[in-house]
This record gives sequence, structure tokens and C-alpha cells, in this order.
Amino acid sequence: MVYFQKWKMVLGGAATLLCLGAFCDKDGLSGAVAAEKLTITSAVMCEDVQDRLPLYEGVVFSISTGRVVCYTLFDPVPEKTVITHNWYNRDNLSTKIKLPLLPPRWTTYSAIQLRESDKGPWRVEITDSEGQILQVLRFSVTD
Amino acid sequence: MDGFLIFIQSIRWQDVVDITLCSYILFRCYVIFRITNAYRILIGLAFLWIFQRLAVSIGLIVTSWVIQGITAVAALIIIVVFRNEIRSVLQIKNIKALFWGRPHQPIHTPVQIIADSVMALARKRIGALIVFPGKEDINEKIQSGILWDGAISQEMITSIFWEDNPVHDGAIIIEGNRIHEVGVILPLSHRQELPSYYGTRHRAAVGMAESTDSLVVVVSEERGTVHVVKDSTITPVLKKDDLEKHLQQHLGLVIKDPSSQKKEKIEIRIAAMVSVILITSVWLTIARGLDTLVTFEIPIEYMNRNPGMEIIDASVNGIKIQLGGSGPLMRTLRPDHVRIKIDLGKSVVGQNTYTITNENISLPPGIFIKSFYPDVVDVTLDVPDKKDLPVQVDWTGKLSENLRMEKVTIEPSVVQIIGGRQLLKNITTVYTEKIPLESIQSSRTIIVNLALSPASLKVAPGFKDKITVECTVKDQSKNGL
Repeated sequence: MVYFQKWKMVLGGAATLLCLGAFCDKDGLSGAVAAEKLTITSAVMCEDVQDRLPLYEGVVFSISTGRVVCYTLFDPVPEKTVITHNWYNRDNLSTKIKLPLLPPRWTTYSAIQLRESDKGPWRVEITDSEGQILQVLRFSVTD
Repeated sequence: MDGFLIFIQSIRWQDVVDITLCSYILFRCYVIFRITNAYRILIGLAFLWIFQRLAVSIGLIVTSWVIQGITAVAALIIIVVFRNEIRSVLQIKNIKALFWGRPHQPIHTPVQIIADSVMALARKRIGALIVFPGKEDINEKIQSGILWDGAISQEMITSIFWEDNPVHDGAIIIEGNRIHEVGVILPLSHRQELPSYYGTRHRAAVGMAESTDSLVVVVSEERGTVHVVKDSTITPVLKKDDLEKHLQQHLGLVIKDPSSQKKEKIEIRIAAMVSVILITSVWLTIARGLDTLVTFEIPIEYMNRNPGMEIIDASVNGIKIQLGGSGPLMRTLRPDHVRIKIDLGKSVVGQNTYTITNENISLPPGIFIKSFYPDVVDVTLDVPDKKDLPVQVDWTGKLSENLRMEKVTIEPSVVQIIGGRQLLKNITTVYTEKIPLESIQSSRTIIVNLALSPASLKVAPGFKDKITVECTVKDQSKNGL
């Protein structure tokens, strides 16, 4: 409930969710990976995503870049599920973005719009549908 | 009327004890020293002191200095001049007498036995020299005395002055009901007008009486006459009754008539009242002059903390307190004389709110609280715990336009932090001190401290508090990006 309220607040405020993207990789065989575990193959912070690939990866982002993107690639994706990108500014939850995943392989990302007040250390916790942390990405927003 | 009632209500039990004790001490000083000559001088000194305070209060600066100087010198002179008298007063065998009753209960000298003995010696033409000391100490005037400390009897006195006795030529000293010393050599008088038939014994008697306040009885060996010598007066004594009168008068054994006893009682009562009035006046001047206010910031002392808990945070570190009292008291007041205590005996983990009341504040006597702020203190307590936390770099400033920080490696990436359990529960990351990006021009390694907040957090022993940050920077201009 608290998270929901906070999420609403963030949506109404500065950190604006820019984009939720999902790209299905047609090469995967869903039957063959059904018994396997959901695995993150790649998770990076970047300035943009083009052709399902992260653009300008980094750990420090200037406000002047306008936005920052959390890019994640899952392979395999055993079954249809959702993951969450939890964005924290220092230890305060800034926004919480649920993203659907589809077998057998899935690339997804979330992004926030950067404002002056967003300067400081950030982290994105990537959690599965049960809230288990799969990976934590750390970065900073600076002048 | 209201002011008077407020004043009465403001008197504490300590004030009553203060006045009572000091009044009694002053009164006892009077009772103990009133029989001495030094007492009169002490009264004079007290008046000097009062004049000096008066001079100060009306602004007579030089006069107050002069009187102060005279008082100090006079006090020193009194101690030197009257040292023996003061010593004899204070050398009371019964300590209780210092605090209660009359310190000098007279030990009655057996005057009749002495008079009988002297007359018997005269009849037998046995020379004798008997000294009855007064209030002054005679030890510095006499020589070669042999301690005797024997009870007085006619036989004893006769045997001392018996010509075959080795000490018969000297004088005896009678103090109270004891023969204190025998064979004592007395100072000789140098008076020229003394009759030529006066021998050494008479000259010694006169010399002793002249130089002290003693009374000396001398029996002539040649003529069998008895003389009483006091001050410079030599009085021949023919009858035993006359000798008894002389001795009784000198020893203060004359029975006081009821009127003089009543007068003495009244004198004592007046002295007691004057002591109370004097001390009350001094107390009113020093302790009750409510003319000065002082403000201190006093740190709060926490007491009875559960050893299993730690104070993580407090809304304030100290209380700003405004105190009032008389000028002299306030001038001596220091912040460490004031204590503000909070009892944490019933505190629980988390935030505890305490209201500060006068009971939390302890003050020296005579000081009162005008106001204090704040009157509510929030104290957060927690149970000490440890937690492994990831380290994150806190970058600040602006990285050059052509540079992009691709990767940061931190060593150690996790540190163990000690702090309150509730506090650690809400902390998921520890950050480094801020690192300015302007200093980054290429890939490099930076050593930086952890910025632990709040300050109660500490790095656990065995873990580094210096963090090595290895940053990988890419020059985008070289890649055309």
C-alpha cells in the first residue's frame, strides 16, 4: 500500500516513467526452457535503448542527459511472468515499475526522467514476481 | 503582603538549616571566647568588617580598601598576640564542651587547704613561693619546672618546701586542684624601690606578677611573713581569712549573687538573638538578593540506561536554562554546578519522550530557575546490532562532456556496520564521502572514507573504513560518440 502510494506520488512528480518496452526474441524455444530458472543475462544502466541494445552504458549520469534507463535481458524466461524495477534515490523508494516477461527470452527496460532534485546516488533493485532481488544496479545522477 | 507571603514560601528547609547552623556557630564562638581578652578585639574586627561592607555598598572605594587592609592586618596581629589565650581556650579536654554548655566549668581550687598550708609554712619559717596563673599563658615566663601534677594537700605543700627537698627553692604552680609543676624558676623583678630585705624569692614573686596576670603567694623564710603579689602590688597577709579572700578573688571563686547570675543568663540570651539576627541579615544579603539572571546551556545527563540499549539519537543535546539568584552567588556559579538528569530506567526501544520538570534539574542552594527550553526531549534508544551493507560511491559535480564513466569497482564492496537495530533495519546501503567528478580526467583509483550517517553508526572492527574506488572512464570523443 505504501509502495503504491509512493509510486503514485512519483508518477505525479518529477521522476516520470518514460517508457516501458518489451521485445520478444523470436529465436527462443519456449517448450525447451520451461523447466529452467528465470535468469538475468544482462542488466545495465544506460542513456537509451536502440534495437534492443543499451546505448551509452555508465554508472554516472548527468541531469543534462534528461533520462536514465535500466536495461535488463532475461534468458531464459521459463514462463510468462513479471519482474519489477524498484528505483531508489539513496534509500528512498522513488518508483516501482512492473514489467512483463514472456518466454523464452525477453528484453525489457524502464526509465526515469531526471530533474535537479534527483542528484545523488541511486540504485535499481530488479525483483522477480515474488519480490526476490535478482540484481541491484548502482549509479549516480550528477550535475 | 503578597510579596512577603511569596518570600516566606520561597524559603527552603536548607535555608532554615543554613541560618540555624551558622547562628549556632557564631553563638558558640561568643560563649567560648567571651572570657578572653581576644574576644573584645574580635568584636572590634567584626565592626571593622561591617564598616568595610558599608563602605563598599555606598561606593567609598578607597575607604573600603583601607578598612579591608586594617582588618586583615588586625586579624593577623590578634592571632599572633593572643595565640596563647586562644590556644588555652581551644585546648578543651572535653570536645563536647565546644558545642554545648559552658566550656570552662571551673575546677575549684582548695583555697582553704592552701591557706592553711601557707600559714603553717609561715609559722615554721619555711620559705615558699606559690604561683596561681590567671588567664594568660605563663610557660614562656618560667623555666626549669618539674612536672608534678599532684593533688593538693597541706602535707604535700609542706614537704615540697621542706629545706631538704631538692626542689624547695623553686616555685610551685597551682592550676585548678592540682600542683602542676614544682622547682619552677620565675623571672626576677628589676624594680629598684623594693625593700632591701626582699630576697630573691620576693623579687621572683614580683617579677612573675609584673610580667603575667598570675597571683603569687610568697612566704618569707627569715621573717615568717606572707605576702600576696598581684600585678605590681605587694600585699602583706596576716590572717588566713585574708589570704583566702585574695585567692578566691583571683581564682574567680567568689560566689555570684543571684542578680549577677540572672544578668549573665540575659547576656547569653541576647548573644543568641544577636547571632540569629546577624546571620539572618547576612543570609538575606548574600542568598536572597534576587538581582542577577544567568543563562547556561546545560548538557543532559542520562541515567539508568538499560546496558543492552544505546542512545541512538536525542532531539537536543542540552537545555538552555535561565537561573536567578543574588549577585555574589551568581558570580560563583559555573555550568558544571547545574545538572539536568533524565532517568532512562523505563525507556523502551525506539523514541521516548521526556518532559523536563524542576525535579530533573539540580541546583546549588540559593539559585532558582527562571525558565528553561526546551521542556520536552525525545530520546531514541536501540539495541546494538551488526549488519553487512553494500558500499556505493557518492559522486558529485560534473564529469567532462567528452568523458563517460563506464564502470566502478569498489573494494571492499561490503562492510559490516555496527549500530542500533531499528536504525540498521532502514539502512540498505552505506555511501562514501562525496567524490568530485571534476577530478576525474581518466581511469584512476581513489581512496575515500565512508560517510556514516547518523554518527552513531560505526564500521565493525576488522573492516576497513577506507574504500578503494577504481573507476573506468571512457573518452567518447576518441570514439566519435
